[in-house]
Amino acid sequence: MQVSIWRRVLYSAWARPILLIALLIVLWQLAIWIFRIPPYLIPAPFDVVKQLVNEWPKLWRETLVTTYATLGGFGLSILFGIPMALMIAYSRTVESFVYPLLVFSQSVPKVAIAPLFVVWFGFGIIPKVIAAFLLGFFPVVVSTVVGFKSVERDMIDLARSMKASKLQIFMRISLPQALPSIFAGLKVSVTLAVVGAVVGEFVGSNSGIGYVLQIANGNFDLPLMFAALTILSLVGVILFALVDLVERFMIPWHASQRNDFSATA
Amino acid sequence: MKRIFALAMAAGLCLPGVAMAQGKDKIVLLLNWYTYSEHAPFYLGKERGYFDQEGIDLDIQEGRGSGITVQAVAAGTATFGYADVPTMIKAASKGAPVTAVGVALQTSPMSVMGFSDKNIRKPEDIKGKTVAITPGDSMSQTWPLFLKKTGLKEGDFKQVAGDAQTKLNAVINSQADLLLGYVMDQAIKLQDATKKPVTPIRFADYGVNMVSSGIIVQKDYLKAHPEVVKRFLKAAQRSMEEAVKNPEAAVDAMLKAQPKSGVKETAVVGMKETASLYKGPDNPNDKPLRVGKKNMDETLALLVEYGGLDKATAGKADDYYTNAYLP
Repeated sequence: MQVSIWRRVLYSAWARPILLIALLIVLWQLAIWIFRIPPYLIPAPFDVVKQLVNEWPKLWRETLVTTYATLGGFGLSILFGIPMALMIAYSRTVESFVYPLLVFSQSVPKVAIAPLFVVWFGFGIIPKVIAAFLLGFFPVVVSTVVGFKSVERDMIDLARSMKASKLQIFMRISLPQALPSIFAGLKVSVTLAVVGAVVGEFVGSNSGIGYVLQIANGNFDLPLMFAALTILSLVGVILFALVDLVERFMIPWHASQRNDFSATA
Repeated sequence: MKRIFALAMAAGLCLPGVAMAQGKDKIVLLLNWYTYSEHAPFYLGKERGYFDQEGIDLDIQEGRGSGITVQAVAAGTATFGYADVPTMIKAASKGAPVTAVGVALQTSPMSVMGFSDKNIRKPEDIKGKTVAITPGDSMSQTWPLFLKKTGLKEGDFKQVAGDAQTKLNAVINSQADLLLGYVMDQAIKLQDATKKPVTPIRFADYGVNMVSSGIIVQKDYLKAHPEVVKRFLKAAQRSMEEAVKNPEAAVDAMLKAQPKSGVKETAVVGMKETASLYKGPDNPNDKPLRVGKKNMDETLALLVEYGGLDKATAGKADDYYTNAYLP
């Protein structure tokens, strides 16, 4: 009986990452004990949890700020990324002009230009949204382009031979076939947008998790710093899970959604 | 992110930063920041062979903030650190095994500054203005004390926060009227960027007495190699004395080693400003690096009251510095 419960837990998708996290935390604590790592270099997990609880009201408030900026950047990534990808996918001219430039722009380190966003857009939420957008934009474009380019030609030819209109072909064949790839891009994008928002906050901000990280850094408050990082990762995981959820509704027929395996649950 | 870099450094290299090379002790001095005029004396000493003569092969590394320098010294990644002593005290009170063996800046270089044409010359002028700060850094933590001493309130002015570069950008682009900075660092950088004069209001002129940069070392290293520390400090003190006498030569040496670290004319001004901070209020006749007890006591008291230092673990000033290894 005991064994079967354990087995069930071990086989359930939701429990596995939690078990892994628990294992990692134990290893973390053990490493601190065995190698005698002093708390000013790496904090003990228990101290991190303590700070997480003590500072929760403040952390929660700052988390919301960072989440807004993340969602703003992610929204812009979709708003600009998908139409641009469509143009690239459907026009060789646009592709040859724009795509290389896009790759070029992606290689510019955002940390280096982020201070300029503050100069251009001030200390409000806009520079953070833009930083989140710049990090989240590229994966959306690339995977959407790939999605639309890998639509089966035969299917389109068949539909055309049956006198389907361009819109019908797009809605019935191209878009559904591109969606799995688009969602893959969106998932990468949303986690990167979190990073972007924090980069923006690091550079200039009175609030947000990036701001908390700066304060914690200045005071050698490593437990608070790790607590903030934990929350940040959780925000990433939750946003990822939400995109995953939307994906399940939109493409329930796809191979990645057919079994109950999920990357997040 | 900076912290993670320090961790990587600390985890990767737990070797003590010393190895015998051609009979000389190879010493890494990790600065608090990218090179600027404040660091010129070390480059002068290296160029003129003061460290060589003491049997020290000196390697000067630029830093990324005092906090990281303190951690690197605590972990043994760098032999000596040139860092903000109050920052070191905070780390030491949390268990970092480091101590200050010489305090270079004994009068605080902290100030709130803006372009002279804005006519902000005394604390009352700050009212209604916008001040740029960096959250969590030593200046932003001393700022409330300055406000209290000058009778200003948080609501009297607007505050914006950003990293070191953003602070400068904000003032240059008029998003802020003032920033918190060092008289020989940010003031010079603002002038170099705009060619416009800058007026700093010094914290020290309004009763904020706090030491600043100093030379720090790991306690275990100090115990194991007291002679090396003594020789290093002898050379460092000599370098500083020479730089006071000849700021142009110090700046030349710095610019030769690090051509991008400044512009000669303003860096010389910065070096002179630095030299004026070598003496504390309580020891006008001491040689550089030797700090007064009253000065350190006051620094610690301020840290407990304003700097977020826990009174229970703060201890006393003697726990954090010693003059015993100075010549």
